[in-house]
Amino acid sequence: MSTKVLIVDDEVEFASTLAERLALRNYDVKAVYNAEDAITDAQSDPPDVVLLDLRMPGIGGLEVLKILKKFDPSIEVILVTGQPETEGSGEGIPTGLFDYIMKPVDMGELILKINNADQKRKLSRHS
Amino acid sequence: MEYEELIASQLSFIGKVLSVFSHDINNHLAILKESAGLIGDLIEFGKTSSRKDLKEILKITQSIKNQIEQATYFCDKLNGFGHGMEKPLSTFNIHECIEELMVLLNRFINQKMIRIEKDFTANMPLIYSNPLKVQFLMFCLVEKHLKRLDKNSRIIIKTVYANDSIGITIIPQGNLIETDEKLTCDEESYNHIIKQLGVNISHKTAEETTIILPVSLSSGSNRS
Repeated sequence: MSTKVLIVDDEVEFASTLAERLALRNYDVKAVYNAEDAITDAQSDPPDVVLLDLRMPGIGGLEVLKILKKFDPSIEVILVTGQPETEGSGEGIPTGLFDYIMKPVDMGELILKINNADQKRKLSRHS
Repeated sequence: MEYEELIASQLSFIGKVLSVFSHDINNHLAILKESAGLIGDLIEFGKTSSRKDLKEILKITQSIKNQIEQATYFCDKLNGFGHGMEKPLSTFNIHECIEELMVLLNRFINQKMIRIEKDFTANMPLIYSNPLKVQFLMFCLVEKHLKRLDKNSRIIIKTVYANDSIGITIIPQGNLIETDEKLTCDEESYNHIIKQLGVNISHKTAEETTIILPVSLSSGSNRS
């Protein structure tokens, strides 16, 4: 079964193009463009891995991370950020975060991180 | 001490503009990289044989062109902002000066989910002043409202010309929220910059502020 990936980014073109590229690599991908849709979508059809933009209008990425982990702690979240660190939290590594990746994204690195996150999710669901 | 605080506030303002700019440019580059990557993928996965595939590739190349145009426009605005810092005084169009600042801060404003609306008067004369300081003052006035207004509010920037002066009115509209967020521009820096620019301030209401900017600032009055 394909890994279910949810991309959350207010940059519509970035999210949709990345979704298309991952779909070509046989991931089951969906892209949403705001935090509210991400929360609704993840609750109705839980993904294995979420690629989450840190800075979005309204509810930011870190808040979405908290909500998703509260709903299903096994969902793995990778922050996609333009900053060299997970800025904005001011409290070190945000709780529940699997990893982060820098924009512009390196496809090889992203696939590796998605696969590692998916593996961790599968292990935590079996334990 | 007062002067040091002003410099710190101005540096913080310039830092804000640069960080928003670099974040935005990085996003454009990220989209360009994904678009180019997608064309490479389509070739690699053999999805280039049908008319539909070729149309898809044409669509992506058009998107690349659009991204480059948007990024160029944005770079032009930073270029103008940079040139404004080169000389203490220059001749410029106040509308272009405000527009430049709003474009550069667009992402910051969008994140607050607040709309900026311009109500600019036609045939505004050029002014001789310090564009960076004018932009800093505009930022101080707008930032205050950005932090205190709830989402889906709006800020109207209105300009008028009369008696060799330019009036810029900032009108916030929307619900207020409680906030303890620190402002980039403190009270002392704000008063200092007003003095430096020879600006008069008037308040129609507690929230609505009008700054009266002289069309020509003598070089002497620009000194701190």
